[in-house]
Amino acid sequence: MSLLEVSDLRTAFHTREGTVRAVNGVSFSIEKGQTLGIVGESGSGKSVTCYSMLDLIPKPPGKIEQGEALFDGQDLLKLSRRELNEVRGKRISMIFQDPMTSLNPYLRIQDQLIEPLLIHENISKAKAIQLGVQALDDVGVPDPERRIRQYPHEFSGGMRQRVMIAMALITEPELLIADEPTTALDVTVQAQVIELIKEMQRKHGTAVILITHDLGVVAGYCDRVNVMYAGEIVESGSTEQVFYQSKHAYTIGLKESIPGNQTKEQRLKTIEGKPPDMSRPYSGCAFAPRSPLKHSPEQAAEPGVLKEIEPGHWVEIHPATVENYQQYLT
Amino acid sequence: MFRFALRRILETIPVLFAVASITFFMLKAAPGGPFDSDRDPPESVKKKLDEFYGFDKPWYQQYFIQMRNLIRGELGYSFKYPNRTVNGVISEAAPVSLELGLYALTVSICIGLFAGILASLKPNTMLDYIPSSLSMIGICLPTFLLGPIAILVFTLNLEWFPLAGWSTPASKVLPAFTLGLYYAAYVARMARGGMRDILNQDFIRTARAKGANESRVIFRHAIKGGIMPVVSFLGPAAAGLIAGSFVIETVFYIPGLGQHFVKSAFDRDYTMVMGVVLFFATLIVVLNLVSDIIMVWLNPKLKFDHD
Amino acid sequence: MAALLLSGCGQNTQTTAPGSGSGGSSAQILHITNGTEPEDIDPHIVTGVPEHHIITALTEGLVGEDPEDLHPVPGVAERWDTSEDLTVWTFHLRTNAVWTTGEPVTAQDFVASFERILNPELASKYSYMLFVMKNAQAYNEGKIKDFKEVGAAAIDERTLKVTLGAPTPYFLGLLNHYTWFPVHMATIEKHGPKYARGNQWTRPENFVSNGPFKLVSWTTNEKLVVERSPTYWDKDNVKADEIHFYGIVSADTQEKYFRAGQVHNAYQISSDKIPTYKKNKPELLHITPHLASYFYRLNTTKGVTKDVRVRKALSMSIDRKSLVENVTQGGQLPATFFTPPNCAGYTTTAGFKEDIEAAKKLLAEAGYPDGKGFPGVEILYNTDENHRSIAEAIQEMWNKNLGIKSTLVNQEWKVYLDSQRKLNYEVSRAGWTGDYPDPNTFLDMWTSWSQQNQTGWSNDKYDELIKAAGKTGDMEERKKLFDQAEHILMDELPIMPIYIYTRVYLLDPKVKGWHHTILDHHPWKHVYLDSSAK
Repeated sequence: MSLLEVSDLRTAFHTREGTVRAVNGVSFSIEKGQTLGIVGESGSGKSVTCYSMLDLIPKPPGKIEQGEALFDGQDLLKLSRRELNEVRGKRISMIFQDPMTSLNPYLRIQDQLIEPLLIHENISKAKAIQLGVQALDDVGVPDPERRIRQYPHEFSGGMRQRVMIAMALITEPELLIADEPTTALDVTVQAQVIELIKEMQRKHGTAVILITHDLGVVAGYCDRVNVMYAGEIVESGSTEQVFYQSKHAYTIGLKESIPGNQTKEQRLKTIEGKPPDMSRPYSGCAFAPRSPLKHSPEQAAEPGVLKEIEPGHWVEIHPATVENYQQYLT
Repeated sequence: MFRFALRRILETIPVLFAVASITFFMLKAAPGGPFDSDRDPPESVKKKLDEFYGFDKPWYQQYFIQMRNLIRGELGYSFKYPNRTVNGVISEAAPVSLELGLYALTVSICIGLFAGILASLKPNTMLDYIPSSLSMIGICLPTFLLGPIAILVFTLNLEWFPLAGWSTPASKVLPAFTLGLYYAAYVARMARGGMRDILNQDFIRTARAKGANESRVIFRHAIKGGIMPVVSFLGPAAAGLIAGSFVIETVFYIPGLGQHFVKSAFDRDYTMVMGVVLFFATLIVVLNLVSDIIMVWLNPKLKFDHD
Repeated sequence: MAALLLSGCGQNTQTTAPGSGSGGSSAQILHITNGTEPEDIDPHIVTGVPEHHIITALTEGLVGEDPEDLHPVPGVAERWDTSEDLTVWTFHLRTNAVWTTGEPVTAQDFVASFERILNPELASKYSYMLFVMKNAQAYNEGKIKDFKEVGAAAIDERTLKVTLGAPTPYFLGLLNHYTWFPVHMATIEKHGPKYARGNQWTRPENFVSNGPFKLVSWTTNEKLVVERSPTYWDKDNVKADEIHFYGIVSADTQEKYFRAGQVHNAYQISSDKIPTYKKNKPELLHITPHLASYFYRLNTTKGVTKDVRVRKALSMSIDRKSLVENVTQGGQLPATFFTPPNCAGYTTTAGFKEDIEAAKKLLAEAGYPDGKGFPGVEILYNTDENHRSIAEAIQEMWNKNLGIKSTLVNQEWKVYLDSQRKLNYEVSRAGWTGDYPDPNTFLDMWTSWSQQNQTGWSNDKYDELIKAAGKTGDMEERKKLFDQAEHILMDELPIMPIYIYTRVYLLDPKVKGWHHTILDHHPWKHVYLDSSAK
């Protein structure tokens, strides 16, 4: 049994301007100790997918309309708030994109860091602080005894993200969801943070879902990758499959836009156009308007089909998005 | 913190000096004087009065004498109450105003915070709409209406509270509530706004992700930041409650300072105006300082900036 | 609504107000709303009517007032004689009149008191009330330095001789004004310079007086309490044990206190509540004529009102009856004359007729037929709801009857006084309350030398008539002179009379010994509570 198995998850936001279908039938799974990357542009639904599982989307306007997320056999989406709170922060932890805003500026580091222990473990505060100092030491915060009593604004961005990681792992969860953990950080710090997550993962045997728009980060780290576009998974497979045998035009576009994948003379490629406005219903393929492949308007109107084209490698098959798509249709 | 407070206190000296000067010149510029009435005293008497109070001197001398007396803390005799010193009147009336203000502030904070936080938890539901509309009514309903209505209902018809001015604890209930409700409405709106802002912050999501239940999220993570707008409003509000209780004092016949504030200006009671204005100016400065200190205490980031 | 408003009226008057001490139905504690907080209780310093009410409880002058018609009755003086020409008055003081200290009230006390109020250094605003006394004005103005030249002399401890500058038939009435009251000089000197302001002798712990009541406590803006004085010569006839004076300013608050049974009167009542009381509780509502006139000053020095024909037209074209019935509603007397009727027996024959046609004719003669070409006129009033309603009604009447436009301008009290004094107005609202019951208090203000004139108007004949009236002691002769003067006044109309004031107030039926008097004086020693009354 997989550690987490998500099937046909659909999340929508009902706003005054209309209904935004942020996650539109997403299915994937992750095994114990595995690392899953979810990549896509902003607004592709990758974060919402994970927030939906832990009931962290603002409701209203958000609403999970369909699907299930089986974690160790129990459907997270059907848990009561109390049952869910026993999972959140204990068995599944999260690290967020912006360490500057994700820590409470009104509370000392120690109060925030040991909070998961106080909530989930039957443990004295003194003991919790001791563990907190240890955790800070583990993530490489120097002088942890002193710094644990400081406030977030006394930490740099990288240090705060280290605190976030320490806090997320302090209860030794089975699954860590890292939502763009490096995006807001200096380039020099980014690698350190990823290294840290990897190291922690190795130590505790934690499964990790890494949400990122940076395919490069995924390449060196993840076991499997989901590529999301417009609320749907358009390609999914092992890192090797997705990287070296990319079939979807969007994946290829993302790959080409990684800095450093070009020779010096080449200009950095970008995917032209913008992601679709998710509040408008569309038929056919969402990526068709931006696709560099040749297709007629009639072809663009055809819906895509997610198909396993080789063991473990799934691609959304559509004339506008997969070259020689006919070869995969049968 | 101490240096911060000391600096703020020192900063108030020029402020008070400016307030005193502006008051002096505005009073001089206002038509009519303290001795004018519809029955004018004989000219010779008027002249003597001018001499007695130094109004026969050139304005710059009067200004100089006034400032010198202020530095010495001598506010002089009231013009309206000729045998009573301004210091005496203020020291008699100010405690009443401060007490009333304190009660009203307590009322407004308790009710306001409760209603505001409640409303912020379930935005755009009945739990939000009811306190929000009530606070809107509270803001729109002036105290000069609320006061008499409260007396009519609670004193004359229900006979729950006595009417007598300011003596027994029971007599203080209606004035404190009437005065406090208006500000409670403001506090509620601010608390709601502040809490909504905070509850949308990333760190609240972090807290939820850690498995914190709602009460922990609200009381441990949100409230400190959520009531910030309320705290910053407290200084001005407290000053307003203490200085602005004229209507309440009139309606409930309370011997506070608010009526001196208003009446002394109409009476051209120069010394009293000066005394009351300076008293309130000092009070506003002090209360703002207190509210700033509370803010710094609540918000560690500010402490960092000030030290 | 009216029923609701009044449910509670005059019920539990047995008050629970703090300090009511003795309790039970035998307690005679009067709770009186007094309009405002007293400025002070030093009779030589204060200027107001609320102060009068308190000071007359605490202090007694040479004569007292009859509770029903205010005619002079013995006070500290048990009897008095006067010279043929009414200029020399001799008062014989009673032997048992004493201060609260137990010392006797002497003729010297009176002389010292007169000297104090007239002393230029004290700068008493009401010192002019004593100017009828020989050389008093000269002394007050500093022209005479020796008080011995002033017409007040103690013949012996019990005999006081007052010499007046001119025959003054209303002299005894004047003596009931607090400016003539005695003060305890030793106490004053103990607490500060006797001729300087800011003396602390009126603080409750220091105060000494000689009246039917003595001061117990005085909490600013709360209440002033007096109790029956054990040293007062006529204490056996003083009925109330205590009087508590409340300085409640707001008429609505007074009325609520009254309804809650916490006070025995509402000093005034807002006009919108009058009809309700008239209908439901007429026994609580009192409307009594008052020695005061409501009028508009018309500036005779500039603008359209410089022309007497315009002044007349303005005056003749308003419907005063409709005004008092529909706007003020307090039973006021419409007035086409200035002095309130039956003022010390004087009722003027002067006056004019309200006549729109004649007014139109006068306006046409002045060059504004049917109001054409009339530049408009500005009505100034001090900021107040009632004054505004009246001005609006008059504005409407002028517009309807004469076809002329007017604008309303309100100014805060002191600004308004300043504008009026500087003749910086066109038409200005005013009111005048008599200082004593004599036509002189209404008519001498229109002389050319009066500071209260403030219209720019003067008339030599008028001046002479008022002067002549001041020189004779013959009341019939004086009435004739005053009447002639008032005819001139009503002919030239530097003022536009509107109505004679009434006092409108609420009074608990339990209060006895309280009579309607023209000066709204209610000598406290006669007032008491009858709990059996409904």
